[in-house]
Amino acid sequence: MLFLNKDNFQRDVFLGLLVWLILIMFYFIFPDPGIHDIIQKVFILGLFAMSLNILIGYLGLIAFGHAAFFASGAYTLGLFLQSDFVSNLASFSIPVAMLLAVLVSGILATLIGAICIRLKDIYFSFLTLAFQMLIYSIILALVNITGGDQGLMGGFPKPPFLGINLGKPFDFYAFTIFISIITIVILRQIIESPFGYGLRMIRDNSERPAALGFSNQKHKLIAFIIAGSIAGLAGSLQALLDVGAYPEWAFWSKSAEPLFMILLGGMHSFLGPLMGALIFEILNDFVTANTRYYGLVLGLVILCFVLGLKKGLLDWILIKFNRK
Amino acid sequence: MKKIKKYSRREVLRTSASITSVLTIGAGFPSILKAENNIKVGIPTILSGRVAQLGISVTNAIKMAVNNFNNAGGLDGRNIELIIRDSRAKPDEAARVCRNFINSDKVDVILNAEASGASFAVQEVIRESGTLCLHTVSETSSLTADPSIRAWNAFRFSRIGIHDAVGSAKYAAEIAKEKGLKTWMSVNPDYAYGRDSDDTFFWALKKFSPGFEIKGKGWPKIFQPDYTEVITQIARAKPDAIYTSLWGGDLVSFIDQALLYGIFKNTELFAINLADYTTMSAVRNLPKGLHSATRYVAAWPNTQDNRDYDKSYTDIYGDHPTNWSWEASVGIDYLINALKETRSTDTKKLAEAIKGKTRKSFMGVGDGNTVSIRDRDQTIVDYSIGWGTTISNEPYMTGIQGADWNTIKELENEWLTDKGWL
Repeated sequence: MLFLNKDNFQRDVFLGLLVWLILIMFYFIFPDPGIHDIIQKVFILGLFAMSLNILIGYLGLIAFGHAAFFASGAYTLGLFLQSDFVSNLASFSIPVAMLLAVLVSGILATLIGAICIRLKDIYFSFLTLAFQMLIYSIILALVNITGGDQGLMGGFPKPPFLGINLGKPFDFYAFTIFISIITIVILRQIIESPFGYGLRMIRDNSERPAALGFSNQKHKLIAFIIAGSIAGLAGSLQALLDVGAYPEWAFWSKSAEPLFMILLGGMHSFLGPLMGALIFEILNDFVTANTRYYGLVLGLVILCFVLGLKKGLLDWILIKFNRK
Repeated sequence: MKKIKKYSRREVLRTSASITSVLTIGAGFPSILKAENNIKVGIPTILSGRVAQLGISVTNAIKMAVNNFNNAGGLDGRNIELIIRDSRAKPDEAARVCRNFINSDKVDVILNAEASGASFAVQEVIRESGTLCLHTVSETSSLTADPSIRAWNAFRFSRIGIHDAVGSAKYAAEIAKEKGLKTWMSVNPDYAYGRDSDDTFFWALKKFSPGFEIKGKGWPKIFQPDYTEVITQIARAKPDAIYTSLWGGDLVSFIDQALLYGIFKNTELFAINLADYTTMSAVRNLPKGLHSATRYVAAWPNTQDNRDYDKSYTDIYGDHPTNWSWEASVGIDYLINALKETRSTDTKKLAEAIKGKTRKSFMGVGDGNTVSIRDRDQTIVDYSIGWGTTISNEPYMTGIQGADWNTIKELENEWLTDKGWL
């Protein structure tokens, strides 16, 4: 057990692998594909929400345009897999497409972030929203490349790589969760590093770190790039799941989804957004299966959290637990 | 004596919030785990927002046929169970709903009643899963015309843009010749269907009446409430004729607003989607003489079967069927027939039973009032396409002329060859 306390990274890797193995067992204990579908979606949306929480929870910057990076990841992967490169790269197509999705989203985040981080508060929020709507309009306008409002059509191949065939439900399930857990472990290292504590300092009092010689702008930009890249990765996984990409993923309402997840799960605990994604996804499944009044039910649940708990569920649980 | 603990308002709220979330999480799973022995048909559609009428009229038509089938004993005692869910017109939500139908509800068939954008998302899900899918709403031609999008297990029972375009252009060319219409403008919704409709209409019009001039094109956003900008554009350009594929509430708003400017006094309107009861009855003062295709009216096709269909639907729901209703009715009729013929829910057997099949239908204009599912692209042909002019009251349409399917098929082949799809 000493191993668990010695090194945070080793502990996180160990816990990550343990969760992954438990979820693999869960796949066989509950063979219902509907449950597997929800778990996959929870991890994909969880990554999306956790990436946004780098900006909201740790940096105190509320970005309204985060879906731009989610969509850029999805479209990059989809367009790459529909291109002729696939026949040349064969089995390495999917890993290369995913790396490209992260890279393109990262570059986009660098360009957008370099401008946005110069502003604060509501101005920052609205500028991110403006850039997102620009990306959305570009997707709609480039009909010949993106398929316009119909999205990427005709599907794309999923050539097997390293013995993993993403066309098979189990392989896709195990792969999606594995990639998500690895990303979460890396993200935790970043958040717990001096860089991560620097972000918290900027959030709490931006003048103090500046006085200590910190470059606030540099920290903000790096955080923005990391958040955009992870959102791009989440988008690429979603595109693999849906075998397509849609302009709605770049619309402002898509950016509201991770915000809801953060509100539901909690922004001050590392895994809060992931728990928010779980609540959001189960709620979505339950409400759409039983009533047409999706917005009303979602609104009421969020009201319960905001007025009742005054924080996300995981934040509330952790505070309650620590008190005892 | 035992001390009774008093709970503060905040504690009560906290506890209720926790109970709500636990119940929500707990109640979610049973919906995933339930399983029954009926023939399950999943219907992803739009039941909320401005086009909720789409989902309502589709599901009404399907329920009417399914109730008859179930009341007659079903398939060896197995009833058809409909599972209807709202996708809120979002493609990714339609894909998710569809995956849930297939994975959790274990549906045997997807009866897709989504508009174009979400229909393409549904197509990708069923392509992977191999589930039988009947498209009953999307009219965008490429869904079944483009071989790279087509799927072996998907059949289309809805109109296709190119069929309507040829029928419309033939009628428009005749009116243009009769009234000397030389200049045109178009007003189409700025999304896939609108662009498809604009391209195919003017492509076909060139075949029948070359030499016309297009004075401008207006592209209002879908669900846009104000059309002043487009109307001023028309007032400035003064075209002889306008072609529009606006539909539902958008078309109603456009006509109501254009009437205020007197646009239709000197300009002929060809509105392909006007002649649907819900649309015509919503226009405040439906003027005489607007041209429209017969989306669905009891007056066309002028047969007893069609009037009977209208009456059965109206008797149950107190409202006339829509274009989406007849498309869904034909789709469910094919499915029920395939179930009876194969006595199975196996996708391959059902697909074989539907492919290339000709059936008598109240909307059929083929030999003996039939429609067919064409073998080549698994798409409906020989359904009724008519054009006529509006009158203010029931039956709302007069002077209806039926389109010639030989001409439609001939020009469709030419169009497919141009696109490289044939």
